[in-house]
Amino acid sequence: MILLKEEKEVQVISARKIKKFLKFAGIPLVIFTIVLVVPFVNGFYYTFTDWDGFEVTKLVGFENYADSFADPKFWVTLRFTALFVVVSLVLVNVVAFGLALIVTSKLRSRNILRTFFFVPNLIGGVVLGVIWQFIFNSAIVSLANKYDVELFKESWLQDTNKAFWALIIVTVWQSSGYMMIVYITGLVSIENDVLEASQIDGASPLRTLFLIKIPLMAQAFTIALFLTLRSGFMAYDVNVALTDGGPFRTTELISLHIFQDAFLEGDFGTGQSKAVVMFLVVALAALVQVTISKRYEVQR
Amino acid sequence: MKKSMKLGALALASALALSVVAVAPSATAATCKKKTEVEMFGTIKKEIREQFLAAAASYNRSQNCYNLKSILGDDSLTFLQNITPKYATKNAPTIMYDLQYIPDMADKVMDWKGTKLMSLASPGLLAAANVGGKQVGIPSTAEAFGLVYNKAVIKEAGIDVTKIKTWKDLEAAFKKVEAVGKKPLHFSAIWWSLGAHFTNMYHTTAGKTHEARLKVLDDLVDGKKDLSKDPAFKNWLATYDLLKKYNQGAVNLTDTEFDASVANLASGDYGFMFQGNWTEPSLNTIAKSTKFGLMNLPMSNDAKGYGNDSIPVGVPGYFMIDKQQSTKEERAGAIDFLTWLYTSPQGQRFVADPVTEGGMGFIPVYKGFKTKPATSMAGDIANFVNAGKTLEWINTYYPGGLQEEVGKVSMQQYFTDKISAAELATAIQNAWKDKPKTWRGEAA
Repeated sequence: MILLKEEKEVQVISARKIKKFLKFAGIPLVIFTIVLVVPFVNGFYYTFTDWDGFEVTKLVGFENYADSFADPKFWVTLRFTALFVVVSLVLVNVVAFGLALIVTSKLRSRNILRTFFFVPNLIGGVVLGVIWQFIFNSAIVSLANKYDVELFKESWLQDTNKAFWALIIVTVWQSSGYMMIVYITGLVSIENDVLEASQIDGASPLRTLFLIKIPLMAQAFTIALFLTLRSGFMAYDVNVALTDGGPFRTTELISLHIFQDAFLEGDFGTGQSKAVVMFLVVALAALVQVTISKRYEVQR
Repeated sequence: MKKSMKLGALALASALALSVVAVAPSATAATCKKKTEVEMFGTIKKEIREQFLAAAASYNRSQNCYNLKSILGDDSLTFLQNITPKYATKNAPTIMYDLQYIPDMADKVMDWKGTKLMSLASPGLLAAANVGGKQVGIPSTAEAFGLVYNKAVIKEAGIDVTKIKTWKDLEAAFKKVEAVGKKPLHFSAIWWSLGAHFTNMYHTTAGKTHEARLKVLDDLVDGKKDLSKDPAFKNWLATYDLLKKYNQGAVNLTDTEFDASVANLASGDYGFMFQGNWTEPSLNTIAKSTKFGLMNLPMSNDAKGYGNDSIPVGVPGYFMIDKQQSTKEERAGAIDFLTWLYTSPQGQRFVADPVTEGGMGFIPVYKGFKTKPATSMAGDIANFVNAGKTLEWINTYYPGGLQEEVGKVSMQQYFTDKISAAELATAIQNAWKDKPKTWRGEAA
């Protein structure tokens, strides 16, 4: 008898909880399902069909995946993307952390600098690409020819290696301001008493940075690394607007490659299956990264 | 399938009936109870958006059965990228306009056979939009490419362009331009110019008949063609080298190159460029008083060599009408609008008047045009067409993605001396291998 009553109470509570949950999360959940879950499942289904962008006529099993893996260009772009992710991940975070240290120091101009560093992030990728295309193609080249600087005499966008660095430069310029904000939050969240204690103990600023500040803001690193990792893999707009895969289609990142496979050549089946493969790669990479960086987080 | 064809036929019949009365707007005023909205994707070309919209507005005022509405897509995307989401959401426009993806659209659009417009169109220009016997689209205008020249510079250098028939003649002309202190040529490395138009210079001279030219494509797809042994290919390579040698424009592989080449020729510092008549409006916007001409690009040193005195003339795009997601009235309206545009006196003025006078500057490709081509290059093209000195646009048959693959990779690599001529030949062969033979009716 008593047992039954308790069970009833549990039921009432859980029903109330569900109601509460739906009240807050219902609408976002519906939107999430419609714009993310449904297209994702649908897209996954398409990889097993002969979908041509218009209609499905038959199931083809794993043919699309086999075709994707047999495509040498897919592997080339995947390697290129991996390189881009690693280099941009390191540089964006180093620069962003450096900027965060500058604007949290006792500089007078720190507030202006904050805005200054963050602004590139507010410019859309396509506009940014066009501006930088002009800089690399025309501005730098004509200056270099005037002052005889060998390195910049030919447009950087016409050489595969230099075009890669052009992509990196623009990506760093664009996203380090955003990551800077993440690091600022990390830095200002460190409590003053700890810092004062280290000062009294006579720790040098560098020692404070490495032994106190960085360990205590490891969470910020987890977030920033995850965000840059993800955006590195998904980079598309800057790629299209800056190099458009050129020169000679050697700077195509995986997103652009998939998009062109589907919409340019009309191979929707392989394009979609490459997208699924890419999803798995990104998910795995992000999972590994988050697990590792979580280990360094300190709970106070 | 059968049912839809029957419906299509019905629509055609009703459209034909309507198109006859559409000429006299007062007659139709009473016949339509309800206005049907007809959607057209895009405005033919983005450069003539205003002029096209003016034509549509004029059509909408001329009758009260249909209201033509142009819906705009994303210019930076290809036709297929724009249209697939519309089909997926059951929101397909009724009138569509494209060239490259005609084979992909063939089973989704109606057959133009038996329509008034089709009977008026130049027969030679219909072939490229005929898929397995079905007339998928009808032409908008003719365009041509070759060497575009600045008439002022040519006059100053004392060149008679009509005499240029061989490489030697061309080289002499380039030297004359240099002699008056100008730069002879801006040869653009922009991918679509190299990938579609310059490669066509080979394909269009690779055979003397339509069938022989398509056979080259067949062999390329089957992997049976050795380009390096083809004399036409060797000539084409030599032409490529000649243009590269005299090119004075800075090498730029990105899309900003197009504006740069147009600006250079318009500035009067350059004599020639390899482009088409679509550059004329931009050229005239920059240099208002200068005239520009279009001429043949010699492909050998033999004055009688095939194609040496001709220019490739083709259709940049075809009108298609959806039959899957449109109503009978919408299809009738679509046909009515296009018929009005190309056959009524008002419509023809919008089609053929120069861009500066509110027209679209098109070259008439339908019988019964009263307006004469008004621009300098349109006149040049008309001369070539009248003399029967035209070459085919084999690039119309390139499978989707091929001109990007060739133009953005091997052609630009050869342009910048990254690969040898032999490697270029192999790269082109590899790009064609196992592509669908859409010109033989194979599914894209």
